[in-house]
Amino acid sequence: MKHRRSMVIGLSALLAATLSPVVTSTAAFAAEPNQVTDLTVSQADGFATVAWTPVDGATDYQIERTAVDAAGNPTDTARVVGVWRPNRQINNESPTFADAGFNPGDRFQWRVRARIGTAEQPYSTAVAGTTKAPWGDPTTAGQNLRTQWETTNAAQYTSDVNEYAYTAEVDRLSERVRVVEIGRTVQNRPINMFVIGYPTPPATPAAVAATSPLAVNCNVHGNEPGDREACLIMARQLAFSDDARTLDLLKATTVLIIPTINGDGRAANTRGNTTGQDLNRDYSLIRQPETAAYVRMLRDYRPVAGYDGHEYGNSQAGDLPMLPPRHQNVAQQIFDESLDMIENHMYVEGAKDGWWACPYGCANGSGVGLSEETILRNTLGLKNTVNSLLELRSSGGATRPDESNTANNRRRKTFSALWTFNQFMDYHHAQVGDIKKARGEAIEFQAGNNGRIVFRGSRVVPLHPAPHPGEAGPREDLPTADMILDSAPCAYKLTEEQYNGARTDGPNDVGATVAERIAAHGWKVVKVADGYIVPLAQPERGLIPLLLDEQAEEEWVSGERVYPTLTGTHNGPLTISGFACLSGATVNGPVNVRPGATLVATNTTISGPVNAASAAGVFLGESTLRGPLSVANTNGPVTVIGTKVSGPVNVANNTGGAAPYIAGNSISGPLSCAGNSPAPTNLEVRNTVDGPRAGQCATL
Amino acid sequence: MRRTLALVLSVSLLAAAGCSGSDAPVTPDGLAGPLCAELPAGDEPGNPTALSREKAGEALSWITVLTTFDGAMRASELLPELEGKQAITVLAPSDDAFAAKFSQDNLDELMIKDKDTLRTLLRAHIVDRSLSLEDLRDADSIKTLDGTTVRVSSADGDMAQIGDEARTVCADYRIANGRVHVINHVLGNLPTTAGQGDSGH
Repeated sequence: MKHRRSMVIGLSALLAATLSPVVTSTAAFAAEPNQVTDLTVSQADGFATVAWTPVDGATDYQIERTAVDAAGNPTDTARVVGVWRPNRQINNESPTFADAGFNPGDRFQWRVRARIGTAEQPYSTAVAGTTKAPWGDPTTAGQNLRTQWETTNAAQYTSDVNEYAYTAEVDRLSERVRVVEIGRTVQNRPINMFVIGYPTPPATPAAVAATSPLAVNCNVHGNEPGDREACLIMARQLAFSDDARTLDLLKATTVLIIPTINGDGRAANTRGNTTGQDLNRDYSLIRQPETAAYVRMLRDYRPVAGYDGHEYGNSQAGDLPMLPPRHQNVAQQIFDESLDMIENHMYVEGAKDGWWACPYGCANGSGVGLSEETILRNTLGLKNTVNSLLELRSSGGATRPDESNTANNRRRKTFSALWTFNQFMDYHHAQVGDIKKARGEAIEFQAGNNGRIVFRGSRVVPLHPAPHPGEAGPREDLPTADMILDSAPCAYKLTEEQYNGARTDGPNDVGATVAERIAAHGWKVVKVADGYIVPLAQPERGLIPLLLDEQAEEEWVSGERVYPTLTGTHNGPLTISGFACLSGATVNGPVNVRPGATLVATNTTISGPVNAASAAGVFLGESTLRGPLSVANTNGPVTVIGTKVSGPVNVANNTGGAAPYIAGNSISGPLSCAGNSPAPTNLEVRNTVDGPRAGQCATL
Repeated sequence: MRRTLALVLSVSLLAAAGCSGSDAPVTPDGLAGPLCAELPAGDEPGNPTALSREKAGEALSWITVLTTFDGAMRASELLPELEGKQAITVLAPSDDAFAAKFSQDNLDELMIKDKDTLRTLLRAHIVDRSLSLEDLRDADSIKTLDGTTVRVSSADGDMAQIGDEARTVCADYRIANGRVHVINHVLGNLPTTAGQGDSGH
């Protein structure tokens, strides 16, 4: 820094001495001590990035904006629109500030000055620019669509009626868009989702899932509407933009945008839905139709990454507080990848464009909701989806002078959300390999029923060293002893009453049955003579105990813990009738699962063939089979995940409900599947197969 | 201490000359108060001239800092009654005022489940006749629709003080049957719950 600074001084001194008439850059006129130099302003959708060269010894900087006409004459008073502080960004060598909160298309000039302590230093030379008009050519069909929020200059939010009309037009005019109704609210409002791909979105949810889609949830709290407006604008950009970046993104994946999961709350401007339920305390429990719709969408479309948009009143926090899924039952890989997205992408890109992404919960921020699995961020993590919370700081505060809930405040929030969601798409595009790897490893880890169970409690988010020196980070929120179960059961067993009994925890005291909710989550269940068994050896192992164990904080029912039946070594053939759970076991011999019996095996080594014919259920997770595997005519669920098989694998004529999972296995031999209904899926976690893949498993 | 008409007029003239700052100019649209500069003006959607022809419900939906009050009014189902009155004055607390008064849970409770309490609360913000800012500054007290008598007086910055805590921050919106004044505190006698619980996430 010192070097660069002295160079500037030297240059201006030289210019002054020679009275050169040639150079007119701002740097050349850094004549006054401590004057900010090299001011640049670049325009993006709804914001302008103001950048400058730092002044030695500056405590902070004030960013001033003045409306000007085409001739450069001020048309309004100058105002300080922001304060840059060192905790805004990870690299203080290149300060940037995203100025937002103006009518897009208006013309302004900007100046920046340093403050040393509280002493104001000289302003930089002004740089004028015309801000970008709302996206889309006003004379091109589709591009010229505008939301109510846009046409009213942000004086009004887009109403439900206007949203539906706008959504229908985007759908009608763009080949890339299919709008699907994923459910209805309590008051019967449609819950729509944009499914956007190029040249057209894949035809079915499973085909969308195959593209490793990403999902943006825009408006769960009805009185936090800023993200939703960004989503509606982004949908138009994705639908009608022909720039290379957009096309590259959409050729590679499918973007899922859910503008309004809480349409009733949005219409009434309430946080909760029309029953008063905070929907972001319901994504695991799915007592409400809105959250149930979301969870069924997740089951069917299987997004690999997500963002969940909110607003947030803490005036001391950054522009864009974010948080990864911290619940300790979330697989480490998902937590790590989510934190990578926030810190190694959002912080880095934020420093370039001037937005202040920061950890949610810093600077006296909220201490709630860190490990509640009822919150979408954690629910998604427990479903092996890389994701983050996004808050838009709704209050003004020290670094964004008080804006109250004005049109300019709304614009700042919405365009900061638009920036974030675009960065999210870029991150996904660049890192989809890493995201899929993390997801695959997480699914295998969970299907292996590994480790203790934590009912509530968070992973620590280490304070990022650069942007927040000396500040308090997000609360630790470690699990208390009563929230830990060191010895995980193998499964939960529910009675008929628990599984199919009427419930009163939904709207109007009517709730979906546990059976229906389990189906919405997509868990596999074995019907046995005296009840229903939910093995943990499946991808959502982290979530299952939180809803079925009596020790959990917010469970549906207190299911009976079913513990492993074999954890040691068994020599010789093993014939299974009834229910068997092998955990960390070794079987030196073949395993034969008799008709109507259930086998669950995790971290188990079986030396010999495994043969299941007409079983009630077969669950293999992170196990090793030294011999062939045959699973045929099962009347219930089949899941083989993260398992190493030395020999051929044959999965045939299984018709027990949902698609068999054949995912992330390593098979030394052929893999053949036939006659299963529905056909098996690999959940987009590819199997490694030495031999040929045949039949229904040809592409798994 | 009552102000004279001449004094008020001189403030208007100052405003026309383009003064700004804490002295709360009267805007070209006829509003007065420090918050007015942040609200739709001129020929923008939601400008005060356009609202002057509108009923209360429609007008409230355009004043950006009144989203909570607007939602509460709709939830209360009081609007048809108010819009049917010959003249009203609406003392409308800003979103910031609501945020400083009620927790989010409390607000949802009022708007969804406890509408009788909500109606009483909102009636504490309505007067049965049309009062300008000047009227408020000149009066000693006003009686709101909940039956309460509230002391009013002139306040610094040519604003009006309403009760002990509230003050106009953008006054003199005209609507079809009266006036709307944006104020910075919630009136009525409900307990403050802001800060209780935590509505993060």
